[in-house]
Order: sequence, then structure tokens, then C-alpha cells
Amino acid sequence: MSNSITTFVLQGLLLITGLVIATDESLSNTETKDINDQKFRTIDTGIQFPYEERLNVRPLPHNHLLSSFEFQMNSEPFFPSDSSSNFDKYDHYTIFPKAIEPLLRRTDVRQLHLRFTRGFWDSEEWGRLPHDGFKSGGSGVELWALIEGNSKKDAYKKWKSLANSLSGSFCASINFIDLSKTNYPVFSFNPQERENEGIPLFNSTNNLYLMHASLANEPICTENLTPLLKLLPSKGKSGISSLLDGHKLFDSIWHNMAIDITTQCVNDDSYSNSGECFYEMEANVDVVAHIPSILARNKNPIPKPLGGDDLHCDLSKPYDAYQCFPSPETSEISFSLSDIFGKNISGSNDLSFTHSRICASISENWLATIKVDDGLFGTDDNCFDLTENRNYDIYMESGSSNKVARNDDVPIYVSRSLTGYGQDHGGLRTVFSNPTLEPVRLSYYESLPWFMRIYLSTLKMEVTSDIYQNLTFNDIVESQYYMPAIDRKRSTQLEFIMTIPANCTISLTYEFDKALLHFTEYPPDANHGFEIESLIITILESAPYQLRTATLLLYLSTPDFSMPYNVIIISSTIMGLIFGTLYNLITKRMVTMDEAEKILATRSIKYKVMMLKQRILSKLGF
Amino acid sequence: MSTLSLRKSVCSIFVLTYAIIGIPLWGKLTNIYRAPLPREYIKSLNNDKFFDVHVTIPVYIKSDVYKFPDIHEATQIQVNHLLDSKKQNVQWSLEILQFNDTFIELEKEQGREYHIVTLQLDEFVGYNAAYDSKNTVVYFDDPTVARNDLPFFVAQTLVEHTFNVEWGYLSNGDLMLDKHSAVAINYNPDIHLSINLLKGDGSPVDWEIEETLKTYFTPFRRFLSPLVNFTVDTSVVYFNDLNLHSLNNTGNITWTDVSHTIDLSELSSMNYFSEDSALNLAIVFPSKETNPEGFSFVKAEGEQTWESFIVPQWGVLVINKMPLEANTMVSKDYLDAVLYKFANDLFELLGLTTESESLFSPVITIDSFKRIRTLQNINKSVETLWSLIKLTEQFQQMAIPKDVLENVKEVLDTRLDIVEILNNPAKGDDLSWDEALNLSNKMVQRSEEAFFDGQMLKQNFFPQEHKLAVYMPLIGPITIVLFTGFISLFKETEPKLIEKEKSLTEEEKKEVEETEAVGAIEGEDEIN
Repeated sequence: MSNSITTFVLQGLLLITGLVIATDESLSNTETKDINDQKFRTIDTGIQFPYEERLNVRPLPHNHLLSSFEFQMNSEPFFPSDSSSNFDKYDHYTIFPKAIEPLLRRTDVRQLHLRFTRGFWDSEEWGRLPHDGFKSGGSGVELWALIEGNSKKDAYKKWKSLANSLSGSFCASINFIDLSKTNYPVFSFNPQERENEGIPLFNSTNNLYLMHASLANEPICTENLTPLLKLLPSKGKSGISSLLDGHKLFDSIWHNMAIDITTQCVNDDSYSNSGECFYEMEANVDVVAHIPSILARNKNPIPKPLGGDDLHCDLSKPYDAYQCFPSPETSEISFSLSDIFGKNISGSNDLSFTHSRICASISENWLATIKVDDGLFGTDDNCFDLTENRNYDIYMESGSSNKVARNDDVPIYVSRSLTGYGQDHGGLRTVFSNPTLEPVRLSYYESLPWFMRIYLSTLKMEVTSDIYQNLTFNDIVESQYYMPAIDRKRSTQLEFIMTIPANCTISLTYEFDKALLHFTEYPPDANHGFEIESLIITILESAPYQLRTATLLLYLSTPDFSMPYNVIIISSTIMGLIFGTLYNLITKRMVTMDEAEKILATRSIKYKVMMLKQRILSKLGF
Repeated sequence: MSTLSLRKSVCSIFVLTYAIIGIPLWGKLTNIYRAPLPREYIKSLNNDKFFDVHVTIPVYIKSDVYKFPDIHEATQIQVNHLLDSKKQNVQWSLEILQFNDTFIELEKEQGREYHIVTLQLDEFVGYNAAYDSKNTVVYFDDPTVARNDLPFFVAQTLVEHTFNVEWGYLSNGDLMLDKHSAVAINYNPDIHLSINLLKGDGSPVDWEIEETLKTYFTPFRRFLSPLVNFTVDTSVVYFNDLNLHSLNNTGNITWTDVSHTIDLSELSSMNYFSEDSALNLAIVFPSKETNPEGFSFVKAEGEQTWESFIVPQWGVLVINKMPLEANTMVSKDYLDAVLYKFANDLFELLGLTTESESLFSPVITIDSFKRIRTLQNINKSVETLWSLIKLTEQFQQMAIPKDVLENVKEVLDTRLDIVEILNNPAKGDDLSWDEALNLSNKMVQRSEEAFFDGQMLKQNFFPQEHKLAVYMPLIGPITIVLFTGFISLFKETEPKLIEKEKSLTEEEKKEVEETEAVGAIEGEDEIN
């Protein structure tokens, strides 16, 4: 061993000396330019990295606009069997974020999905969610990951470490994910797909564990967007990411940020760890903005009443100088993306051969043009490639903005609400409504905190449509999975695979008890209530779709927080009283009634006055 | 016994129970656990951290041409004399032994290497050290032998050159006072190296870093591995020129301006290395858009178009004058030169050399630094333990869990193990020093675990006032009842005494009679 070290050291030192000689020689060389050419070669064919970005804008009914940003990148290939302490092992990062990869390696994450979503998606008006709902989360923060581990405990440990690190990276409270918030989904999140894809295992004796947790209604803001932008190679400074600005993005009706990372191995045999692997990352930002209100705010940053000339009154109703019913929203609209996002697109992405691409999904009565510096250009397919390093903007206008490109209808509507009243028990009611002519097969994934103690025996199904009156629970639900909660350690996990018949509305109800929490378990604002995470529905048919219901706010009985100290004081007082009485009984002098009366007599005021009188008289000499 | 004395004794029993059993029991039940730390031992260690350390390094001496049967003894005397000439802050000595061919060969087969001095007859007097082994060659000529100066030469070469690191740290200076501590990072056995290529703009760039690192950096990593293990990553960062473009509008830029402008935050944050410390190399190219003419403050000399400087405790910054064209491949030629500079600076960042001193022989220096680091680690962990003791004494309400005690014991035991290795003249090979260094790294880790135990801090936030506030409603009324009863009882006097007093004055007797006439007392006890 020492021999080999010696040779390597020699090599190293020889190299040092070699280098010195080389530089000396080059000093006497002809021209500096040649040397520089030698040092920095221009590759004529260009340098390309696996990175792509595109933006899709789609007008929605009632003057809303959906903008979907998509970024895709791959990491440098690596061999999972290599140890980083190997002297020949060097990790390289080009466009894949350096903040993420070591984290994935350390925690053995094979798939990571992170969602930051806030707002309300009106699926009845706007149709399907972008990316069929697979890139959106429930309101708040949602995280799920596929982690390789030798046991469930080991995997949980890595999951916890992952959550803590992501919490730091994304400035979100993801570190609050603990044992009582973590679930292991069984039917949901596409287990079949996982099987088919053959997720690689780096150590064949390990298993994969899917873990899911969400923080309902966690506020999402610029501090979560900035870390996401830093993950992109363009850092939000060129290409379409230069549009993303926290001030405008979060001033919207619905917004969603998603990060999905998967591990891909080129080896056919996915269960061996010898193949070359890489990580694939997709980042999505979707936002729905109401155009007239943004334009109005651009015009008048501080809201103030409009002047009489600016009012648009409904002419079908009475109006005069004092009375005006506002007219319905105008359907004539024109705007540019810089109005919506407050910035122009600066330049393009040069890192890959596919340039940044912007597409407008519009119907015929809309017009979309690209503005390059000062010229406007249009294309047939309404897609624009940003090829040069110039300022771009997209200009859109329409005379009848309510006619928009048709978005496919949602296969099912699901809503969930709390029922009942009082502080000790309540109920949950979930309504499934299938508007289509086909039955819909879906998976139902619900995670409830341990302080909602549900009674599965009260699970009831109601059918509203007459033709399906004879339908029973077992006809609808083909399999179910129930993991009961353990106080403070595990949440309730309820999963069904069910089929909702065509044109049918079904409701599921069950009841629960509200548990009392420990004194210290209440959050600082205990009277706000407790956020309950969304119900996740995944359509398992040929056209997959995923949707989440709104989060719920559950009121628990909150104690009077000064109570423990009051109890201490009252019980101490009682104990003090008992002790005092007992002590006095034992140590005070016992006398008979007669004696007591005599003593009392000497203590009377009359006696004392007499004594005083006598004393004075005796002093005076009487 | 009268009723009064009985009552007094009952009352006293109550008070005594309260004071002797009640208060200690309450204290005991509400107190927190404080493990008994060996305070005195740690205090004495802290006062004299190396009282039991005497580093002994064996050196074998061999002669090629002449045979000197007593050269080792003569050299030993000279070495001792030389070492005694300076006050040592840590005891150390060399043990000069006669070269034993078979022993050295046998040991070498097991990977154990020793310091060897070879005496070589030559035309001149001098010394040399091999790059790749712990071998010092002393050249001598015949007159030297005739004058009997050879042992002195050998001793001087050994002490002042071969062991100049020990000579500097242990005999001449302060062990902990690093001359270059401002630049060097704290010693850590695992260090992460981050090599970044930064570009002010977003046009694509590639570099031949893998090849460069493999041919040049791998041997370097292997060579330093007994002392430091490196893990290395490289990355290309676009749209980041460390904020240097903001200097564009200022004239007469000095290096102070540059160091004030540089923003390293993005390179240092959002990283998840498993190692505790990291060093960086950042190669910065200006943006073609904001700095088409390049950075004016970078001087281009000859073919070198970049300047490098050390950012203390962070790493090395290489700033290039000119921006890169789009689609440029940064070649191995360029990177070789940059990495050569970086490798040199790394020695300084690791605290192995200073700017003024160069390396005598890499192998020997690294070997010496193993010993110095071991001693510094001992010093550091003993200081940590002493801080722990001071902390627990300052905060009397702080809990000391058993784990802390166990860690402290382990540190103290490990310390003795290390001292055993350092002091033993029979253990003077590579592997022993490696073992001592590893043990000392473990020792530092354990001492820090003991100091930063989470349980200790947690309990400290529960103040004494809090405890009193909770118990006061119970203890308050009981104490008041108990003690007012006690005092009033002991103020009561025996009736006999009163009678005696009464018999003294006629006036008083009269008074009593009068009182009786009014219809008062004849009790055994008198009213007060």
C-alpha cells in the first residue's frame, strides 16, 4: 500500500514539475492569442445541456388567464455504486441544482414530489386542472417521496432528514412533518405505474417506501418562489423564467408551484446497481390571474373611487348622475404578458438547442402576437420560439373573450364538508358527482389527524339519482384500506377504490369524535381551529386525472389556558387550610368551657377599660 | 410534663419535620439530575494540558560507507543538548537508534515506515530530504569525521529541518497559536472541496474538469488522505460573477474594493454536504454583456489572464480578465495551471504551510502535522471539557444527563490512550501516528457531543422562579401557619414564673385580687 502511495505522490509531484516546465515553455511561445485559443476552444457545434423550458398561456372564461411555466432538466450521469470517498470520484453539476442532488443521494430518494398551492381552481368554469391535476397539490404544502431503505424505520429517518433539509431550502415549515403527519399510501399515487416503470434500487436488499404528508393551508409566498428560481440554471434572469416575479405571481386567484424529481437508470436490469443513473427534474409554475383587476391595479396602484366619466353603467337599468349599476364585465380585452407579470422576457435560454418556447392556446376570436423589441409578429400555430438575446413580450387581444379554446370537462366533481355541531363530535360528508355518461373508477385517499376519531361503523352512502336507488356501498367500493390512528403517533389513513356510476351523485358520510389535546399541544392561535388536509381523488381510467378537495377547518374545544395554575392554587389553598386546622388543634391549649369563659371575660373591652382606669387611678395615688 | 412543654415539643417536632425532612425532600423531588462530572481532574488537566505527554519519535540512523558503531549515541547526546536549549511547551524528544535492516524491512512490509537518516560521504557537507519517503540524507566529508562534527550536523539537520514543524510548534512557539490561523480553516478530518466555474452571463460553457482532476488531483487526494479526506464536487454556475460587475462604474479599483464587493453568499448557502467543513475554488469569468472589455482591475501578465487570491477560511478565488465566448470549452491546459495554484494554496488553507515557508518534504511535513494535530486536538477537547465544567457551574439549574458523563469519561479515557501512543518510543511508525490522530479526532467529536447535548439546554429554560411560583400557593400558607404558631407558642410563659413575679410587688398582688374580684381567671396557664 505504501508503495502505491509513493508512486502516486511521485506522479503528482512529477506532474507539478511538468506543469511548471510547460508554463515556462509557453512563456517563450509565439503569440498570446494562440495560447488563449488553446486554453479556450470554441465548439462550433455548440454546447448543449439537457434543459428545456416552455410557457403556455391559455385564456379562461370570464377574463381569466392561465399561465403554465414548465422547466425540465437532467443531472449529470452517475454510478450509484461509486463512493464519494473514492479518490477517483468527482461529482459534477452543470444545470441540475447543486442544492438538490447531494440531498437526494444522502436520503436515498428515488422520487420526490413537492407542491406549493394556494387558491381556488373553479373546475366547473375552467375545466380540467393543468397537467390533469398531476402537478397540483392541495391548498398548502404537499410532499411525497419514494425512499429506499432497509426498513420502514430507516426510511422514515431519511424522510425526516429530507423534510428538514427541504424546509431550509424552500423557507417553508416542512420540518413540521413528523410521525403523526406521515402516511404510507397504498392505492393512490399510481402504484401500478411504479411497478411498471421499475424504479431502480441502488441496494438490492433494500425496499422502496412511499411516504406522503401535507401541511394544509400553509401560506405560500415569495420566499418559496425565490429558492425555486435559484434551482433553475437561468436563475430567473433570462428566458421565460425572467417573467416570474413574486409580487405579481402571488397576486392571483390560484397559483401552484411543483417540483418532481425521478431517478432514471439506463441499465435494463433495474435491480442491479451497476448501471449509470441520472436524476430528472421538472419544475412547474401555474398561475391563474383575473386580467381586468390586474390591469386596473396597474393603472391605479392605490384603489380609489372612479370618476363619473370612467363608470360603465348598465344601460338596461335606470342610471343618472347619482345612480349607476355597473355593467357586466366587458368581453373586449387586450393586454400583454408584461402587464400581467410586470416584466418583459429578457432573452432566451442558450443552454440547449431547444429554445425557450411560448405557446398560446387560443380560439379563433383571439389574437396572439410576439413583440420583439418594437415589432409585432404572429405565427400560424401561435407558438413562439425565443431565439435571440433580445427583449420579448406577448400581446393578446380578443373581441369576445368569453369564447375560449375548449378545455376538456372534468370527469368528476368531488366536494367535502364538515357536518354536525358542538365541541365533542362531528361528521364528514363527501359528495361525488359524475356528470359524464361513463362510470368513473377512482381511488380515494384521505388522511385525518389523530384527534379526529372516526367511527367507520357510521360510514353511510346515499344516492341521489332515482335509477341507482338500490346501489349499496359494496357495489361502489371494490377495495378499501383503513389504518386507524394512534394518538400522537399516526394519523388515520382511509383509502378506497370505487366506481361512481354515470350521471350519478353519491355522498359518503361518517362521524367522528373530537379528542381533547394536551395542554401544550395547542398551537399559539388555538381558537383559529385546525386545518384538515385535502382529500385526494385519482381517476384510474384511460384518461387519468387527479383532483383535491378544499381543506377543512375543524374547531376543537379549547381550554381556558390559565386553568392549570388555578387548579394548583385552589388545591394548595385547601391543603393549606386542612393543615392549618390540624396543626392548631394539636398545638393550641385545651381548656374547659368554664375556663374559656373566664379567659374570654378577661379579654373583654369592659375588663380592659377597667384595668386601665385602675392603673391610672393608682398612678395618681387614689 | 406540663401541657405547655408538651405542646412546645409537638410544635418543635412539626418544625423539625418541616426543616429536616420536608425541605430536603421537596428539593430532591423537584430537582433536576446533574451527573457528577470529574471537575477536579479536568481542572488539573486544563491547567497543565500536557503534563503527562512526552512525544518520543524514533529515528534510525545508517551509514553507507563508513561504519560508525556509536554514532547514534553521540547524535542522541547532541540532539538532547539542542532540544534542551529551548524551553519546551510540550515535552518531546527524538530517540536515535541504530539502523536495523531486517527490522525496518519487516515493518515496511506491514506498511509501517520510520524516520531514517542516511549518512552519505560526499565532497561537501549538507542535507537533503526525499519527497516520497521519511528519509533524510546527511552529506559529510572526511574532514567532518576527523573533527568529530558529524553527530552535531546530524542533530542539527534532524531538529531544525526534518522536525522543523515540531521545533516550531513545540519548542519555539505556542502549540495553539497558529501563525496562519487567520487563513487556515479549523482542522477537520473530512473536508468537502467545491470547485465552481462562475459566469456572469448565461451562454453555455463546458470544461475538461474530470480529466484534469483525475490526472492531477487524485494523487493529491491520496497523498493527503492520512491527514484529510477530501470529497470533491464541481459545478458550473451561470449568471453569477460574485457581484464584480458592480465595480464597473468605479475608477481606481483596489483589491480592498474587490474584497468588499465580492458576494460569496450564493456559493456558500443552499448546500447539503455531509462534511462539516468545506473549501471552495471559484473560477470567475465576467459577463460579456456587462463587461465586454473584461475586468479592468485584473492584470494580465504574459499568457496568464487571471489573478488568484485566497479568501481566508473560505478558499481560493480565480478572477479572469476577459469574458468567455459562447460555446467555449475551457481546456485542460488552462485548468491545470489553475489547479496547480489551488493545490499550493490548499496547503496554506489547511494550515500546513504559511505564505513565507515552503514545504521541506511533503511526506515528512504531513507526518509531523499528524502529531501536531493530535496534540492540538487534545488541547481543544480538554478546553471544551473545561468549558463544559464552567458552564454547568455557572448554571446551577442546568441538567447534566448521564450521556454527557459517559462522553466525558470516554474523552478522558481516549486521551490516556493517545498519550500512551505518543509517549511510547516503540510506537513511532506511520500507522501509530494515524491511530493517534484518529483517536484524537474522535475525542474532539465526543467532547463536542458532551458540550452540545440538547437535553442540557432544554432544561435550562425552566427557571427556578417558575418552580417557586408553582409551589408557593402550597408552601406559603403552610409555612406561615407553622411558624406563627411556633413563635406564639414559644412566647407563652410558664404560670409558675408569673406567680413568682407577682409575689414581688404588693401592688401587683392587689391587682390580681381586684381582677379576681371582677370574676376572672384561676387557670393553670395564665393569659399573656
